[in-house]
Formats: sequence, C-alpha cells, structure tokens
Amino acid sequence: MANEPTRPSTPDGTTEQHRSISTTRRALRGVAAFAAGAPFTALVAAVEVAVATAALGVPRSTAPVAVGLVAFAVYAADHVADAEGDAASTPSRARVALRYGDQLMTAAAVSYGVALALAVRAGPAALALVCVPGAVWIGYASDWLPALGDVAAPLAEVSVPRLKDVFLLNSAAVALAWAVAVVAAPLAFGGVAVEAVGLRTVALLFAYVAVRSFVDVEVPNVRDVAADAARDVATFPVVYGVGRTRRVLLGVDALAAGLLAALAATGTASRPALVALAAGLAVSVAVTALADRLDGATLGVAPDCSYLVAGIVLLALGP
Amino acid sequence: MAALSPLSIALLVAVTLGLAAAILAWRERPEPGATWLAVLLAGQVWWATFLVFELEAATLPAKALWYDVQWVGVVAIPVGWLFFALAYTGYDRYVTPFSVALVSVIPVATVAVAAAGDPGNLLAVDRVVRETAVGTFLDIAPGPLYYVTAGYTYLLGAIGSVPLLQLIRDDARPFRGQSAALLIGTAVPWAGSIAYLAGAIPIPGLDPTPIVFAVSGVTYLFALSRFRLLTLAPAPRRRARQLVFEQLHDPVFVVGAEDLLVDLNESASETFGIDRRAAIGERAGAIVPRYDAVRELDGERGSPRPMSIVGRDGQRPYEVTIRDVVDDHDRTTAKVIAFHDVGAYLGQQQRLNVLNRVFRHDVRTETNLILGYAERLRADATDERALAIIEESAGRMLELSERTRTAGELFDPTEEAKSGPLPDVVDEVVADARDLGPDARIETGRVPDVTVSSVLRVVLENLCSNAVRHNDTETPWVRIDAAVADGWVEVTVADDGPGIDPAEYDVLDRGTETPLRHGSGIGLWIVKWGVDHLGGRISFAEREPRGTTVTVSVPIDESGTAGTSSNEGR
Repeated sequence: MANEPTRPSTPDGTTEQHRSISTTRRALRGVAAFAAGAPFTALVAAVEVAVATAALGVPRSTAPVAVGLVAFAVYAADHVADAEGDAASTPSRARVALRYGDQLMTAAAVSYGVALALAVRAGPAALALVCVPGAVWIGYASDWLPALGDVAAPLAEVSVPRLKDVFLLNSAAVALAWAVAVVAAPLAFGGVAVEAVGLRTVALLFAYVAVRSFVDVEVPNVRDVAADAARDVATFPVVYGVGRTRRVLLGVDALAAGLLAALAATGTASRPALVALAAGLAVSVAVTALADRLDGATLGVAPDCSYLVAGIVLLALGP
Repeated sequence: MAALSPLSIALLVAVTLGLAAAILAWRERPEPGATWLAVLLAGQVWWATFLVFELEAATLPAKALWYDVQWVGVVAIPVGWLFFALAYTGYDRYVTPFSVALVSVIPVATVAVAAAGDPGNLLAVDRVVRETAVGTFLDIAPGPLYYVTAGYTYLLGAIGSVPLLQLIRDDARPFRGQSAALLIGTAVPWAGSIAYLAGAIPIPGLDPTPIVFAVSGVTYLFALSRFRLLTLAPAPRRRARQLVFEQLHDPVFVVGAEDLLVDLNESASETFGIDRRAAIGERAGAIVPRYDAVRELDGERGSPRPMSIVGRDGQRPYEVTIRDVVDDHDRTTAKVIAFHDVGAYLGQQQRLNVLNRVFRHDVRTETNLILGYAERLRADATDERALAIIEESAGRMLELSERTRTAGELFDPTEEAKSGPLPDVVDEVVADARDLGPDARIETGRVPDVTVSSVLRVVLENLCSNAVRHNDTETPWVRIDAAVADGWVEVTVADDGPGIDPAEYDVLDRGTETPLRHGSGIGLWIVKWGVDHLGGRISFAEREPRGTTVTVSVPIDESGTAGTSSNEGR
C-alpha cells in the first residue's frame, strides 16, 4: 500500500492531499501578505517610538502602542482604499485588501479609536498628536482636497490634486507625519516638555527621523515604479530613474548620518539609543545600495527592517 | 500616571467605539446620511473626550475650560442626528445649505457664548467643583441658554426620530433593524440627559449622557456592520417609487375618498391633455376620462372591458384597473385608477383572427376553385371558361396576398412613422383609383392642407379601390371631401355602388370574426386597423339613391406643418 500511486480524487484532477497543501499554502500566503502590510508597519512604528523614547531619555508610556495602532489604522485604510491600484505592485496584499476590505476597515477604525482613547488618557497634547496622522492621511489618500479645491475655486479651472499624486510633497508629507509621530509621541504621552529634553536634541532627532523616513518611503517606490507611472503618481524613481534615485537616497542617508553625529554631539541622547539608530542607519544604507537588485517583496519591507534591527540592538544593549 | 476610574474607562470605551463608528460612517460617503452620521458620532466623541479632560483637570478654571470646549460636541449631535435621519430616509430635499445654516443658528450661538467665556452667565449661573466617590466634577447650575439649547436638542432629536420611527414598521427586515438600532443608540443618551436634567442622578455634577455613548457606539457599529446601515439605506426608495409613478407609460390618476383628484402622473397629463396643477383638487368626474363608466367598473369582477377614450393621440381602447389605497387601519383613503392602452394588443388579436380566416377560408375556397377548374381543363384543354375562372381566382389570391402584405407593413414596428400633406395623399389615392378604373369619375372636394400620417393613404386607397372595383355601374362615381375641426380631419369617401353588406359593418364593430360571421376579403379590415392605428373613428352610411358614404376621422399629425391652401373641386 505504501507504494500505491496517488490517484486524483477530485473532479479537477488534484488529489485531496495536494488540494489541502495548496489551500494551506494559499492561506499562509494570505496571512503573510496581510502581516507584511499594515501590521508590519504598526510594529515598525511602535519600535521606532520605543527607540525614540530611549533616545530622548523620557519615561516609558503608551506612546509606542498608540502610534503602532494609528499606523495600523492609517496603512490598513490606505491599502483598502488603493487595493485596485496596488494590484500590480503588491498583488498578494491587494488581494487581501480587496477580499477583506470591510473587515480591515473595521479593524482600522477600532484601532484608531483605541489609539485615540489612549491619547485622551495621556492628555491634550497626545490627543492632538494622534489626530495628526489621520488628518494627513485624509489629505494624502482621499479626494477631500480636490473636492475642497473644486468648491473653493469652481471658476478657476484649477483642480487641487491628491497629496499622494504630488511629486516630492507626497513622500515629504509622509516623512514629516512619521517624524512628528515618532519624536513627539514619547514627549506627549510621557507628559514631558520639549525644554526638559532640550530643543536641540528634539530638533535633531526630528530631522533624523524625517530624512530616514523619506528614504524609507522612496526605496519601495523603486519596486512600484511601473505601477506608479501607470497611475501618474510622481515618485523619485518615476521622475529620475532608479540609478539616480539610489544616488540621491544614499546622499539623504549621509545627511541622516550627519544628523545622528550632531545628535551624539549634544550629549543628551542616550548612548545605547544612538548605537541602535546607527545600526539601523547602516541597514538602511545597505538596502538603498541594493535597491535595484532586491526583489519586490524584500524591497517592500527591507527599509523598515532597519528599525527592527535598531530595536533589537537597543534591547541587547539595554536602554 | 494615575489608575483609571471606572468612569474614565467607560468614557474611553465610548471614545473608542464612537470614533470607530465615525470612521466607518465617513468611509461610506457619499451614501445618503453618511456624512451626517459621522458628524453625529464625532460630536459624541468630542463630548466624551473633553469630559475626560474635565475630570482629569485639577482646578476649577481648567475644568471650566474643558467644560466649555465640550459644547462643540454637544450641539453637533442633534444637528448631525436631524440631517442624518432626513438624508438616510430619503428626505434629502430638506438637507440644503440654507436649512443646515438655519438649524445651526442656535448651536453656533451656544458655542460662541461658550468660547467667549459665558458672558452674563447664560450657560451656567454657577460652577463649583464637587468631590464624589466616582470623581471630581464640575457641578453647574444651568443658565437660560443651557435650557434653550437642551430644549432645542430634544426638538431636533424628536423631529429626526419621526422618519426613523416610520421605518420600524417597514416590511424590509434590514430597515427595521437599522432604524431600531439607530433609535436605541440615540434614545439611551437622551434618557441619560433627561435623568440628569431631572435631578435623578445621585452624584452631583455627573451628566451620564457622554458615558452612555458607549452604548450608542455599540449599536451604531452593529447597525453599520450587521444591518449594513448606509450601504443599504432606504433613501432611494421614496424617489424610486415616485419615479415609477411618474415614468409609468400608463396614465394613472389618484382619486381621494371625496371624489377629488389627489394626483396624476405625467403620462395621464400628456395623454389626456390635462394641466396637472390645475387638475389636482378638482372633482374627479371633471378630469378623469369617462369617470362615470370607470366607477361602474369598480364594482365589477373579472377582467375589465376595454373602453374607448379620446386623448391627444386620438381614440384608443383602454383597460381600466382600479386599486384601493388602504391605510394602516384598513381604511380606504383613495383609489388609484390606471388606464392601460390595449389598442396594440387588440389590433394584433384581430389581425391574427382575420389572417387565420383568410388562410382557412378565402385561400382554401380559391384553391378549391382552381383545382376544380384545372380538372375540367385536363378533360378539355379548350375550355376557355375554366381557364378564365382559374385566372380570376389566381388574381384574387394575388390581390389578397398583396393586401395581406400591406397590412403587415402597416403595423411593422420597425417602420418609421411618416407623414405628409393631405392634398398630396388625396392626389396619390385618386391617381391610383383612376389607374384601377379608367372610366371612373373621381371628384375631390375641398381638401385642407394639413399634415396626416401616411397610414391614412393606405386607408383611403383601400376605400377608393373598393368603391371603384366593386361598383356595378359602367362609369363608377367616387367623391372625396375633407374638413378640419378641433385638431381632427374628417375625410369622406362617397360612391354610387351597390353598398356594403351590413354584415361587414357588424363584424368590424364587433372586432372579431367567427367561422359563420366574417367579412369578405381583407380590405375593410385594413381600413379599420389603419383608422384604429391612427386613433381615429370610422362610420358607414347609405347614400340616396344608392351607394355608400364612409367617413374617416383622424387626428391631424401635430409633428407636421399645417397650411391654409386647398385644392378644391378638381
């Protein structure tokens, strides 16, 4: 019996065993595609805030959780809203977003609600902060601004485009939103004033996170270059080509290194946090250098993995 | 960070659920009511959020500040509720920038007073901090504007609930569920607010309204997900039903219990040439065509009989159906009278009936004749009479065939309706008749220059050819006259022939043939069908000393141009 050949047992000619394996694989691929989307981004955001909390030397708070929840909400909603457009660049994630759009939106809405509740508990500054990414997302992805522009200037024949479609401003807006959330959240949720940490330290960390986030947004655009071009979304790779984009982004990484050095020079940032950030920057430089050689899936998560590396280093060194 | 009190936990749950529901509602834009539901939920979230801040604040000025900020959410809720209910239930015509501005006057004034620091103690005549077992509250003594705003809030809430309460009794389960969830979600905070205002809350300063927003959040979320609130809104139903009534091809009248006209649709207005605005409120007998006969039909059982009614498109046969409009107490409040034009259907039935007879009787008779005389020819090839009879019979069959084709073309739905000047039509008909009977004396009287359908040419051609062909005098006489009155043209064809067998009229009047009672040929039927097709009338009269006068009345083709010239006495 052991050598008996396996015969097709279903009308489509597949065996029960094969079908089971393929179904399991499909399910696993779906879970992996989902996990690599908004949950992964949420994890990265939480780690970023945790590293920033250590770098700023402020007390631990619910900031990483709140920012992680907001990141999940914003990115899940964005993936659902742009599922059809993402089908070319991230087909697995787009399939999940299309199939489970309502469930993802409900999860995103509850997630943002919990984040807001945490922020309310933390105080007005935290509340204002948590509202920022949502407001930016509305401008970034929805047709609110164009609609508002049409109402404001119906006779001018000038339509206000989606922020997502404006070259450079799209990545800059996302980078700034990340920087605001990552740097301000530890302060707002911890109830610590900027002056207590030092304005220079906060500003340098903010600039560092902003330029690093800019790189993290643009690197995956190398993967999305064809889809973005087809949708008339102007990104660095679309406008300047992949090679030139890589050189520019390496330059931005160099700027981040300079900012990190300046941050270290202030003497207020904790040493383990600085080492962790440096390790993350090194990963980022490596990913940028290999941008046109990594496959699409890897390129989608690799830039953000730099923060996970930073988080692991920080855990290893102790805050 | 201090431990959370149960009160704060409840408020944070309300914030979480409220914001989640608001985001989901916002996502459903532009579904009817989505934006306003988001406004309502955002108001709840705002109120609960700043109540937490008020509870957490340590000083009276700080608590007072957060208390004043809460007013933005407090006044947004009833405005959002009212316009959500109107848009969601299909009363969106009341949701206009003007109505929103009007309804928002008191809410905006309240927020302005709060923002200005409550000058004159309009909102609160006294504010003190109360330490209680569940938290430290700002206990306020309401001022006059507080009561005005509270009353206004309840008023808007009650108005918004009316259309939703109507849905509770709806046949569709999803709408019943939706409205029930919405009403529960709104009634619970109201109950809390009323209990607070009535002094029924034992903890001084504690307004439970924002706390029970958690219940509202759960019910709204439930309605959004379980009952597909917003994605399955009843709003389009009202307009769709109205659209069906308005766009229905059949004329429809709604007559109230006192025989007064309540409504009529566009088709009724156009078909019977009725001014809608002037007609509504008038006696039904003065507006509804043949209303007395229609009322008699009301009590009859079985299929309704067609009745001929003259409208803008001429005389058409209508089947009339009457339906009672019954209210929730089984009282008849009105009748819906629908006129269904069955002209095309009846015409088809008649054509099938007549063509059946033509094949079953006329063709068979002629074929038998031909076969019989063919046998005689076989026996005697020189039998000229048999040959002549066969030729005559074949000629009749050919004519029958051509007329049948004419009848088919006359009612071909793919043929575009054509029209032309009546003088040209008469000229063509006269020319054809002269070709048919060169000895015939054909006269025309005054023929007004009006536009008529080309179908009238077929009608007159058949009448004239019959008058010439079946005339037993040596020089057949035919005269055509025409006159115009009230948008109709009346054409008379008179001859001095032997007259038409009354049995032929009888069959035409009845509209049906039987094996024993049927017409001869198909010519008169083509005349009748053509006249019916044009919405006209036809009558037959005997002439003295001999002959027949056939009068055809049809509406003038309004799509053409009418003139005054005539071609008299040719």
